[in-house]
Amino acid sequence: MSMHKCGLFYTTYAREDGLFPSKFQKTCLALFLAAMLACPQFLDSYAVSVLNLILIAVIGAVSLNLLTGVCGQMSLGHGAFVGVGAYGAAIFSNMGAPFFLALLGGGAVAAMVGMVFGIPSLRLKGIYLAISTLAAQLILEYVFLHASSLTGGANGLPVDPPEILGFAFDTDARIFYLILAVAALCVLAVTNVTRTRHGRAFVAIRDYHQSAENVGVNLFAYKLQAFGLSSFLAGIAGGLWAHYTMYITPEQFSMGLSISYLAMIIIGGMGSVIGSIFGAIFITLLPELLNLLISALGGFAPDLSAIIVPMKEGVFGLMLVLFLIFEPEGLARKWRLTKAYWKLYPFAY
Amino acid sequence: MKKLLLLTVLALVVTVGSASAAYKVGVLSDLTGPTSSVGTPYAEGIKAYVSWLNENGGIGGEPIELIQVDYAYNVQQALAAYKRFTSSGIVAMQGWGTGDTEALVKFVAKDKIPVFSASYSAHLMDPQKAPYNFTAAADYSTMGRAGLNYLRETWKEARAPKLAFIFPDNPYGTAPIAAMKEYAKELGFEIVGQENVDLKAIDATPQLLSLKKAEPDFVWTGGTTPSTAVIMKDAQKLGMTCTFFSNIWSSDENIFKLAGDAANGHFGLQGAAIYGQPSPGMDLIRKLTKDEHQMTHYVRGFVSAMVMCEGMKMAKAAGEVTGESIKAALETMRDFDPMGLAPAISYFPDDHRPNLSVNVCTFKDGKLVFVKTAILERKKEWLGL
Repeated sequence: MSMHKCGLFYTTYAREDGLFPSKFQKTCLALFLAAMLACPQFLDSYAVSVLNLILIAVIGAVSLNLLTGVCGQMSLGHGAFVGVGAYGAAIFSNMGAPFFLALLGGGAVAAMVGMVFGIPSLRLKGIYLAISTLAAQLILEYVFLHASSLTGGANGLPVDPPEILGFAFDTDARIFYLILAVAALCVLAVTNVTRTRHGRAFVAIRDYHQSAENVGVNLFAYKLQAFGLSSFLAGIAGGLWAHYTMYITPEQFSMGLSISYLAMIIIGGMGSVIGSIFGAIFITLLPELLNLLISALGGFAPDLSAIIVPMKEGVFGLMLVLFLIFEPEGLARKWRLTKAYWKLYPFAY
Repeated sequence: MKKLLLLTVLALVVTVGSASAAYKVGVLSDLTGPTSSVGTPYAEGIKAYVSWLNENGGIGGEPIELIQVDYAYNVQQALAAYKRFTSSGIVAMQGWGTGDTEALVKFVAKDKIPVFSASYSAHLMDPQKAPYNFTAAADYSTMGRAGLNYLRETWKEARAPKLAFIFPDNPYGTAPIAAMKEYAKELGFEIVGQENVDLKAIDATPQLLSLKKAEPDFVWTGGTTPSTAVIMKDAQKLGMTCTFFSNIWSSDENIFKLAGDAANGHFGLQGAAIYGQPSPGMDLIRKLTKDEHQMTHYVRGFVSAMVMCEGMKMAKAAGEVTGESIKAALETMRDFDPMGLAPAISYFPDDHRPNLSVNVCTFKDGKLVFVKTAILERKKEWLGL
């Protein structure tokens, strides 16, 4: 009879700090990734396109989470930073740059713009910073619309689908793999950042800025880094969006996008990477599920669906409010509780 | 959570289960978003025509099945809705706003799905840029030019008429301004100013005060009905005597609810008939709606569906009905009369402008009244601008 340890025991600190401490977690992740890779073989293009939208939203939400959830810097301009990345990547791509270079270029432009608009964060906190990033949103929207020679202005900017070494990613299934790879890299990068000296400095700033400064965290430098890194990833999300839709206009990066990213990290759970992922899934899927529900009801109860359609926005808002009241720490906490429940199942003592 | 899952599965089963041999057409509508007040009647118009057609022979005996999705004017949701349409095998689509139509331009070109949108941006009329995009009404720039033409023709004084522009600073608002300014100069208007009034504005006094000094005779208002109403009311308050003329989305029957008698005497440019304006098509609409008044957007949705179905019938007569054959058929359409509900429509392989006509309407005693159809020459150099 072989003996098993009942729990995780570490002999080195490095092991304890590992991203996936147990074999079980590694197996689960591998199975999950394998399932994701197999998805396009079984799903139709609608389902795959929803997955694509979710993955792009995941990058956006995770990057905003780094800035707002981890570093505590409120941003209402995230949608515009995504837009900067989208326009940047599209312009580089149209100039003939290879896809990955264009994507990184778009991210770099977004990072620079994000850092410029992050400068006020030295003096401004909380709601005041929120308003100054709101200004960033409005200014950038104005630039998208009026810098016509660069952005195409009101007519928008067409982009070709990504092509790598002659292979065109021009269907939902093909681009899915590309977006999945980039999204996985981004999530991994943010997870790792939160475990470094930088990540701990961000958390220190969020928890109490004076204490952070007392222990030697350079507030301004770290806040700017948070803005830069977050906007860089937002720019990557934008670059993917531009190459996926193949046509970008200023309307796509409005205030509404910024708000929906905020909603994602609030519903998911501030400061948690897995929470942002859940939030992105939830916010992207909710309208789709409501739509499916309505069209299903329309089949046998048209009168009922006529009543439900106008209530859709209300349902969306109600969900947000209920979440804030009953699950203020978001889906991330629900996930932890579920895991804890199953860990001891069926003997919860 | 389990219940939600169950509902989703149920929803999937029902949507999959309702498949049939009919031609499928996607309808992308805004029923709950910011443009829902005009999006809802437009979508009703589309549905009314198609259900009438299905009862009266369909497309060569085959019915049309509409798949409607409300996307709440959100581009991401529009993209997902479009994918839902294509995976259920649509042959054509009825679209809606500027943001979503443009985001889908390349997708519909690749998938060969003709789209009739209610976004009348000029660049959507150029098949080189948007090969599968069609509209049932003239583009914003053409409407603006036709309106200017009408105003110039009816101008009696010897001096040049003074013109000013008010529009929201967004893609939709700025789209026709350059084209209109150029044409206005050509016609001999004197341009005296321009101001931005936001779509959600509740006060336009500062902008109007600065325009008042310039004493314009005519002022273009491109926005939405609520923003136009604010402008008209504030102009009346300031005692301005200028005549406003507004584009297809900037004024409709609701203007009187919002602006009251401040709307009297101003002009609105429309792409389809007003409810009750006599024509064979209107008799049909009156019958279908049991004489219940509908907004002109309803009529335009009706026309948009009619033109699309005409293209499908032409494609059916020539062979198989596919996105590609519908496009090819539409491009041979010449002076199609949508039962008198809108100016005659033609499409060409290198020019998707349906016509260069606009219905000039005026506001009189609580009613939108048709004045005249202003028609411009189909000039090549205006395409896409």
